[in-house]
Amino acid sequence: MKVSDVMIYDISAVFEDETVERAVNIMAGHVISGVPVVDEDMKVVGFITETDIMKASIPSYFSLLQSASFLPDTDQFMKNISRIKDHKVSEYMSKPPIVVKADSPLIYAADLMIRHNIKTIPVVDDENRLIGVVTKMGILKVALEGELK
Amino acid sequence: MKVLTVTLNPALDRIMFIENFQINKLHRVPSFDKSILSPGGKGVNVSVALAKLGIPSIATGFLGGYMGRILIEELRKVSNLITTNFVFIKDETRENIAIIDEENHTITEINSPGPKIEEIDLEHLIRRYTMSLSRVEVVVISGSIPESLTSDVYVELVKIAKEKGKTIFMETRDKHISVLYNKGAVPDFIKPDFRMEYSLLGKELKDLDDFISQAKKLIDAGAKLAVLSYQVDKDIIVVKDGAWIIKPKVGVDISHVLGTGDTYTAAMVYRYLNGVGDALDIGRYGYIAALAKTKKARKDPPTLEEIEEFADKYVLERVI
Repeated sequence: MKVSDVMIYDISAVFEDETVERAVNIMAGHVISGVPVVDEDMKVVGFITETDIMKASIPSYFSLLQSASFLPDTDQFMKNISRIKDHKVSEYMSKPPIVVKADSPLIYAADLMIRHNIKTIPVVDDENRLIGVVTKMGILKVALEGELK
Repeated sequence: MKVLTVTLNPALDRIMFIENFQINKLHRVPSFDKSILSPGGKGVNVSVALAKLGIPSIATGFLGGYMGRILIEELRKVSNLITTNFVFIKDETRENIAIIDEENHTITEINSPGPKIEEIDLEHLIRRYTMSLSRVEVVVISGSIPESLTSDVYVELVKIAKEKGKTIFMETRDKHISVLYNKGAVPDFIKPDFRMEYSLLGKELKDLDDFISQAKKLIDAGAKLAVLSYQVDKDIIVVKDGAWIIKPKVGVDISHVLGTGDTYTAAMVYRYLNGVGDALDIGRYGYIAALAKTKKARKDPPTLEEIEEFADKYVLERVI
């Protein structure tokens, strides 16, 4: 089975010079956890997730804590997210992006997701332009049906 | 990808089949298959009809809220030939209702006005629209405009597409066509939507001369074709070389006309992309596709084979 068999033919993306707020709006609208970042030619240059934005909004020592309840001042999160909402997504996106081609084996996309612990991979054409996305849920569905070969 | 369809005011369409429909009376839908939910709005419908003809397209526009998410999910189920690229907004996408009465051969449509579009969302749409143009040959801009926007948004979309050398097909109401005409942004293929009023370029159309003279103005302004619905099941096709009336040899059930305009536009795009005929032939092909659509009550567009069955079921008469 190929990526093209399960990919979602949607090219919703955020441009690299658009704001974090726009990226959040796109994720909220589509109810997705991440969105491809593209340049003016719709070539994929990165990927930004809700986790990237959360990480950028919490104090740097947070990763050392086990729970948000240890945070002395939760307002800090609100202040930080308010501070970065107008920043460009290019400051917080993951790059270089992990991408796949539509004719790649689906098992290859599944392997990438497991190794990199990601839920969504942009699907690109030969010119690296966005043509859709493949999601972990999409792969799980066909795996449950025994068709992930 | 060959086509970009633009639907600024998409809708989740609810079609109900109710026999002997009357106002001010309780009706029950007899079964689930008599109440159908489908993605709608003219540009979206054109994408669906194009997919039936094997033509891939990008569908863009505004979507919002729960209705918007259902619409995009339903659209994805239609075909992998439709790639979606909608801008999500805060307001809810509208729902349109059509009640088809096959006993009395009537169709009653109730269309909602649509959501409020923020300036920033319009900016984002135009940027994505402009980027998508580099991937396509044809742009289809169809349907209504949400009330918070003016006809100027169509002027901008047409001008951007023209600057990039794209061929533009449009089906919309005269209030938008008039503005496009007055601002020098006339699309290449125009199909006025007369469901609300029979007027073109601000003039009420009363007789054949009115239809032809107003359509001629569009041709003189640069359009390659204007096709005008005339006397229910006839159309007037106006091109640079003259004007023709096209009419069916077979009976048309008026309760089956839902979606014929979108099928018409999609079939014209198909013919244009195949490059097999001139503007008159493109209009003729759109007409026979629309005729094929009227054999189905549902909003289901015809296949190429179904269109071919109607290839000789029409009469074309030159009027000037």
